[in-house]
Amino acid sequence: MSLLTVEGLKISTDGRALVSDLSFAVGAGERMGLIGESGSGKSLTAMAITGLLPRNISARGSITLDGQQVIGAPERNLGQLRGSATAVIFQEPLTALDPLTRLGRQIEEPLRRRYRRDGLDPKTVKHEVLALMERVALPQPERIAAAYPYEVSGGQRQRVAIAMALACRPKLLIADEPTTALDVTTQAEILKLLDSLVRDLGMALLFISHDLPVVANVVDRLTVLRNGKAVEQGPVRDVLGAPKNPYTKTLVEAARAFDQALGRTP
Amino acid sequence: MSAIAAAPVRRSRRSWLFAIGLILVGINVAVALLTLVWLPYDPSSTAGGRLEAPSLLHWAGTDRLGRDLFTQIMIGSRIALMVGAGAVAIGAAIGVTLGVLSAFATRLLDDAFAAAFDILIAFPTLLLAMLVVAASDTASLGSAILALGIAISAIVARLTRILAKRVIGMDYITAARTSGTSWPQIVIKHVLPNIWPTLLVNFALQFGLAVIAEASLSYLGLGAPPPNASWGRLLQEAQGTVYTAPFGAIAPGLALLILVIGINLSADGLRDIGDPTRRGSR
Repeated sequence: MSLLTVEGLKISTDGRALVSDLSFAVGAGERMGLIGESGSGKSLTAMAITGLLPRNISARGSITLDGQQVIGAPERNLGQLRGSATAVIFQEPLTALDPLTRLGRQIEEPLRRRYRRDGLDPKTVKHEVLALMERVALPQPERIAAAYPYEVSGGQRQRVAIAMALACRPKLLIADEPTTALDVTTQAEILKLLDSLVRDLGMALLFISHDLPVVANVVDRLTVLRNGKAVEQGPVRDVLGAPKNPYTKTLVEAARAFDQALGRTP
Repeated sequence: MSAIAAAPVRRSRRSWLFAIGLILVGINVAVALLTLVWLPYDPSSTAGGRLEAPSLLHWAGTDRLGRDLFTQIMIGSRIALMVGAGAVAIGAAIGVTLGVLSAFATRLLDDAFAAAFDILIAFPTLLLAMLVVAASDTASLGSAILALGIAISAIVARLTRILAKRVIGMDYITAARTSGTSWPQIVIKHVLPNIWPTLLVNFALQFGLAVIAEASLSYLGLGAPPPNASWGRLLQEAQGTVYTAPFGAIAPGLALLILVIGINLSADGLRDIGDPTRRGSR
């Protein structure tokens, strides 16, 4: 049985469908890419998986996460799933971090929760915070732990956000456009980091992006979303090598044309 | 160019004003504490001449009954601080609680809360104070504090609600939710710390307004009854003789002015301290 199974997911607000009849599955340790233009319903799908859709947006269908039904589940059950089954990395690391809390404390918070959950010795939390910061390749972890978000660079903020997600030790890591707000060099570094972390820790990954080349390098399977519908699904090689859907074709061609214009071969 | 050059000047002027504010408030606090152990004259002693002008013996002159005015003003500063602190404490406790609850409530409940805050804010404070006094049979310091506390709580609740709602909509709250943080934890660890700097400034301003409102209540006989020498009551007593002995009204008025200016100047400085992005650059 898959870690995450989405079946016939329908997300709507005021009778307007935002996502319709979406189905996909992510097995333990598997990497799935969810790709589509803005407004295609990617992020809403991620929020639905964590059970955190805004009040005026409702979801129907079925989402099973770690053997539990998410849609319609009581808040208490969802609270237990969040952090243990999933953790999310967001697009904009500046706004995803509390501006008035030191970075070390922000990593400590989910870590303490996991320690309580797993019955680990809370005395080692501080040490583990620094270890996590080293793990995500933050330089001078002690200095950055004492800093506020506005005092460090965008790439470092995203590393802190990744450390916070890792602190939860989730089975499924959801990365919602994690590199979109970063410059190209930093983007490549963060992608490499995510890639190695997911591999080393055996987490499953749901990678959400509008950027085809970015997704293609990180995931095994792709789901292409358009206007809230899945238009194509399959292994990366198949989807990109021989796209069947016209929309996917234009996406692939656009990426290819872009690469040729830059003098790169895909 | 001019904006860049102006910034440091404005900052340093601000920190000067903050220092002056703290000194003014500090003097008041020191005087209030001093009255607990020492007074220049017995406040009920009528040994001085009636309506004397300020002199070395009586720094602020004497009142109709020959009592030393400076002694009464000193006691008045204790009462002003007690009322300000008491009213803001009540207002903050009720206001922040209701404001946060309202921000987290369902749409319908939130609208009801918001309407209630607005009605309470529109309600005249003096009328509210009269109602509280009527309900508690006699005017006392406690009834004045309670009335002002209720009036302040509505203002604080409305501000808290708006600030908390804005914070709740931020990405870092969603981020905290996705990692399994419960709502009470989010309020304590993320919402309150982020709205605190703004609330603190508002508390300081409300403190100043409460001091003035207490003077108004006492002036109308709705505040602390005699022999409590509230500044408002001193003003009221001096009213009849304001042409022959103006200092009887000027002195408590000045004391009130000094405290309120001190509080208002401190309020701005408090905001800078609460916000780490401003703290370092000062």
